[in-house]
Parts: sequence; C-alpha cells; structure tokens
Amino acid sequence: MHGKSATFPALLLATAASFVCLILYVFFKVPTAQLAAGGITQKVFYFHVPAAYAMYLSGVTCFVASGAYLYRATPTRNALAQAAAECAVVFGMMVLTSGPLWARKAWGVYWTWDPRLTTSMLSVLVYVAIVVMRAFSGNGEAERKFAAALGVLGTANLPIIHYSVQKWGGNHPTVITKGGGGLGDPSMYYALYLGFFAMTLLAIVLMWLRTRLALLSAQCAAAEEAALSKGLEI
Amino acid sequence: MFNQAPSTTDTSQRSTEFQPVQGGEETTSGEALLVAAYLVMWLLLLFFVWTSWRRQLGLGERLGRLEKALGRPADGQG
Repeated sequence: MHGKSATFPALLLATAASFVCLILYVFFKVPTAQLAAGGITQKVFYFHVPAAYAMYLSGVTCFVASGAYLYRATPTRNALAQAAAECAVVFGMMVLTSGPLWARKAWGVYWTWDPRLTTSMLSVLVYVAIVVMRAFSGNGEAERKFAAALGVLGTANLPIIHYSVQKWGGNHPTVITKGGGGLGDPSMYYALYLGFFAMTLLAIVLMWLRTRLALLSAQCAAAEEAALSKGLEI
Repeated sequence: MFNQAPSTTDTSQRSTEFQPVQGGEETTSGEALLVAAYLVMWLLLLFFVWTSWRRQLGLGERLGRLEKALGRPADGQG
C-alpha cells in the first residue's frame, strides 16, 4: 500500500475501461425489458444490482478487518475497516437512490416498506453510524474498538437482506436470488456479469484509496503528537 | 418505444366527461427516471472521490506544517 506501484494505476485504468464497456453494452446492445418491469428504466438493474453486491463486498471487508482489529489491533486493520465502512455507505446510497427511481416506473411508487428495501436501508444506516462515529467521536483506542464491534455486528444484517425476498415476499424482484433464471436474453446476463466485474474493481479501487488515506492520516497524527511532545510548534 | 393505445377516428368513442379514478395510469417518463438514476449514482461516486481528494489536500497541509516545524523543506513538493 506504500510506495510507487503500477498496480493502482492499472487497476484504475481497468475500472474505467470496464465501466465504459458496461455503459456502451447496456445502452446499445441489451434489449429493453417488459413494461411491467419498468421498460427502459429496467436498465438501472445493471448498475443497481452490482452496486448492492459491492455494498456486500465492502460490508464483508469491514467485518473481516473489524474482527481482525478486535483480535489484534493494528493501524492497517483499523484503516481498512474504516475505508470499507465508508465504501459500504457509498454503494448503499447508490442502491437506495437508483432503486426507488426504477421502482417509480415498475411499481408506481418510489418507496415501499418491502422486506428487502427495509433491511437494505437498515444496513446502510449501520454503516452510516460507523462512519459518523469515527468522524466525530475522536480517534482513541476505545472509539476504534467500538467502531470495529459495530462493523462486526452490522454485517450480520447482510445475509438477512439477501434472504429477505425469499422468506418474506414483497415487491422486490427475485431474478438473481431465484437462481438467475429471470433474465430473458443472454446479453442481459453478460451485462450483469460485466456490471459485477466493474463494481468489484471500483470497490477495490475505492477501498484501496481510502485505506491509504486513513493510514497516512493516522501516521501524520502520530507524527504531530510526537512533534508536540518534543516541544515543536506545529 | 412503448406500446401506445391505438388512435381512433371514431368520434363516438371520445370521452364526453372526466371521472376521477384511484391511482390512474402511469405517466412518468422511463427515460427521465433512467437518466436520473445514472446521474445520481455517478454524482455520489464523484462526491466520494472529491472528499478523498479534499482529505488528501488536508493531509498535505498537515505534513507541510510538520516539515516546517522540523525545520526542513518538504520533499517532492513544488
């Protein structure tokens, strides 16, 4: 994560290229779905679902990094947990804003208290709580451990989101969780897989970027503290 | 793009009154909603990248102050 490496620029380039391909493919190749599914608005699906997957990915990373931090505290684990929670908020907000705009056409309403929608919102709120807590409650050991505990507990909701459509019904489509048989054209599958690939790269890029920033910020704070303890004026 | 109700030249089929109904037919433009959804997603991403950039700028300033306090010029700056 330190030093000048070609990995990050290469990853950034691959992410940008995959998104360009995805956008062109979705808008020029993938057919429009039936009106009951939202017609042309259904094309939100190829970003909405991968964004939800990227939220899961960020959430699981937050869970692993937080658990590892609670087991043995290191600045890298803390920085990764913080970065993953921030990314989970961004991807979660993408899901929670794109979904209602699609729903307006498909269901006639922007929001309904459907199990999947409600559990998704709860999960995003947990990650928002982690980010806000880290931002405003100081950077002490106790605060970091509390944020890590919240990161572990918050991820418990992710499987509930996934299985909520199967267990409790509701309006939300089940084209993916039903075994993937709901996509009527091969190009719809390719677009979805491309979306998953692009969002995975984006999640890695953003988590890498924010982890590095959080680590540098922690190192800078430690250096400032050392300088102050030696009587230097900053 | 969407299937519209066929137009008719039969004047007897025209409406002669308006009756209120529950709900009514969907009139929201799918294209507008699609563009709005994509715009919002990209704006969220850009905002996140912008906050990262701001944080990095702040970090650069803090490092600059530290280096000044240590009495040596900042390496790799300018």
